[in-house]
Amino acid sequence: MSTPLPPEMPGTNPGAPGVPHATAAPAAPSDTAQWRRLDPRTLLVHCGWMAAPLGSLALTALATGGRITAGAWITLAAIAASFAVVTTIGLIRWARTEFRVTVPHRPGGAGGAPATLDVRSGLLNRRLRSVPLHRIRTVDLTATPLHRLLGVTVLRAGTAGSGDGGSELSLEALTVPEAERLRAELLAYADTDAVANDPVVARINWRWLRYAPLTFWVIGGVFVAAGSVYRVLDGIGIEAWKLGFVQRAFAEFGASALWLTIPAALLVILALGSAGATVLYVENWWNYCLEWTDARTLRVRRGLFTTRSVTIESARLSGVLLREPLLLRAGGGAVVRAVAGGLGNREENRKRSGLLPPAPRPEALRVADGALRAPFPGSRSPLSLAPHPRTALRRRRVRGLLFAVLPGTAVLAGLGAAFTPVLLHCAWIYAVVTTPLVLWLARDAYRSLGHGVHGRYLVTRSGTFSRDTLALRREAVAAWTFSTSPFTRRSGLVTLTAAVAAGEGGYRIPDLAATEAPAFAAAAAPGIVEEFLMHPGESVQMPAQLP
Amino acid sequence: MPEHAAPLLRPPRHRVDPRARRWWTVQALLTLSGPMLLTALAMAVLSILFFPGALPWLGPLLLVVLVLPAVGYLVAMPRWRYAVHAWELGERAVYAAGGWFWQKRRIAPLSRVQTVDTLRGPLQRRYGLATVTVTTASTAGDIKIAGLSDADAEELSRMIGEAAQDVPGDAA
Repeated sequence: MSTPLPPEMPGTNPGAPGVPHATAAPAAPSDTAQWRRLDPRTLLVHCGWMAAPLGSLALTALATGGRITAGAWITLAAIAASFAVVTTIGLIRWARTEFRVTVPHRPGGAGGAPATLDVRSGLLNRRLRSVPLHRIRTVDLTATPLHRLLGVTVLRAGTAGSGDGGSELSLEALTVPEAERLRAELLAYADTDAVANDPVVARINWRWLRYAPLTFWVIGGVFVAAGSVYRVLDGIGIEAWKLGFVQRAFAEFGASALWLTIPAALLVILALGSAGATVLYVENWWNYCLEWTDARTLRVRRGLFTTRSVTIESARLSGVLLREPLLLRAGGGAVVRAVAGGLGNREENRKRSGLLPPAPRPEALRVADGALRAPFPGSRSPLSLAPHPRTALRRRRVRGLLFAVLPGTAVLAGLGAAFTPVLLHCAWIYAVVTTPLVLWLARDAYRSLGHGVHGRYLVTRSGTFSRDTLALRREAVAAWTFSTSPFTRRSGLVTLTAAVAAGEGGYRIPDLAATEAPAFAAAAAPGIVEEFLMHPGESVQMPAQLP
Repeated sequence: MPEHAAPLLRPPRHRVDPRARRWWTVQALLTLSGPMLLTALAMAVLSILFFPGALPWLGPLLLVVLVLPAVGYLVAMPRWRYAVHAWELGERAVYAAGGWFWQKRRIAPLSRVQTVDTLRGPLQRRYGLATVTVTTASTAGDIKIAGLSDADAEELSRMIGEAAQDVPGDAA
């Protein structure tokens, strides 16, 4: 994307660098242009993968009472061989990977070579990647438990563009003080104003823990955990279904009073899920702190075993997303996410963009205010957004009935007609129960819909399973897309998508009135659509439109 | 928003090359319609050879499930697409319409343009066509104009390149 530069070197001046206008003046100037090495403990980190096979081998040995079979010996030999290979590769990589921060001859000199972070690596193909420091948007320190055990951390420098990992330099691994120092060096080039008055936006409050069970992990987590346990057991050669106590448990479960045991089992799953969700919440958000480290840098720190620290430059913060999943919304909670560039691909962005864990809605609004450093729309007074046409409600109802109620009823009725009348009763009960539910959800989805322009921000809200309120800086919109299908064209609706070089890339405003959408796009982000607008009544000699 | 005379988005001015219809037809034949028709044919032949009794119900089933959709797609999609696909290079933005069932109109300002790629697949080369992709910093902002004639594609990518240089850029 935008980062890889040609590998010719910017003028470097070993020994005579000046740190330009850096408030966090980092290293001793004499070593800024020296090539530096990664920490040798990286080699140990690379051997971390052996834990799983060695562990399973040990478990097998335990399970079989200390007898090590021929197969186990082969596994052990394979592990030893891989260890040798991995260590050799790691050693070569460590010896051949070097990095440095170069600074221009004249501090801040115009025309001079920009300050850069250079990383060179590779044994046969020497590769030099050089990134100008002013392009660096985020610096992220991550340490897995293994890293922490060894006292090292991984530094990732993300650059402009919502890149796909290619626009990211990562140094694995550095000692913690070294990484902190390098981060200060890298961020020194974002010129820093005075530190904000109250830099800390939010800290963890353990009373929020009550929102932890209101997430997907309550139910999903149990199945995910059960699945991984099964896979681990399967991996070490134990077939869970053949274990005596599992079979006995199932037999007894089937034989007992189902009206009692099924709710009990559900309760157990719920309790387990809640406990799991709480544990995850604690692991993810331990020591959580959201603060402005200086006037232009927002930083999130969190994590118990895996500590994570994400730094977002305010120029790259295009907006803030307030997310209220159905369950959490019912409990009066919300989460806050940053819409920022340079946080990596979709998956990485999902992991890094969190600004606030599930927390009370007023707190979420306060944090959104703090991240934007402006009132988040709706945080002070009730949010007034333009509603969408009633046809959008009809569309949601029809969609729900068509995709949720109809298939289930049809399948049950079909099976009932073919086999047993019990299923026929199931069919009408299903229809009677789901229809009001679907209609209610459709109404809720419709009431969530809204869009508007509030000062510097384009505001949209949509969704029922996850009601998302987005405040997006209007100048961040990079392109507009108008999408339609034959159905929306007939209902006079259009879905508008704002393309942003940040966050998830595109943010949808579903089912606007087709007659209002162009004017709204023009008003929200001027300078894009205007020249392609026409007023109704004007004739246009153009590709005939099929329905 | 002014309720009285809200402006509408007009379609882009230029259609793609008429040869694109043939390209889309061949593409449909190769990817979807062809395999569906072949499957139908194979099943019909097998049924005639080995299970003649199944033909009375299999024939109509194949016709409805495989043959008609395949032929419909083959006939309708290229025409429909040709009616929708269009493009225009404005003073400050580039505008393209695409799709057929689901249609998309996308507008990106020239100041955000990062690269202009021209792509000619083997099929496209046979018909002298090209696809021009204009990328921006956002993955949801890339504009793709498929089915341009070679000459148009070259001219367009040159013009976009020039225009993007003239407009002060803020493509991060």
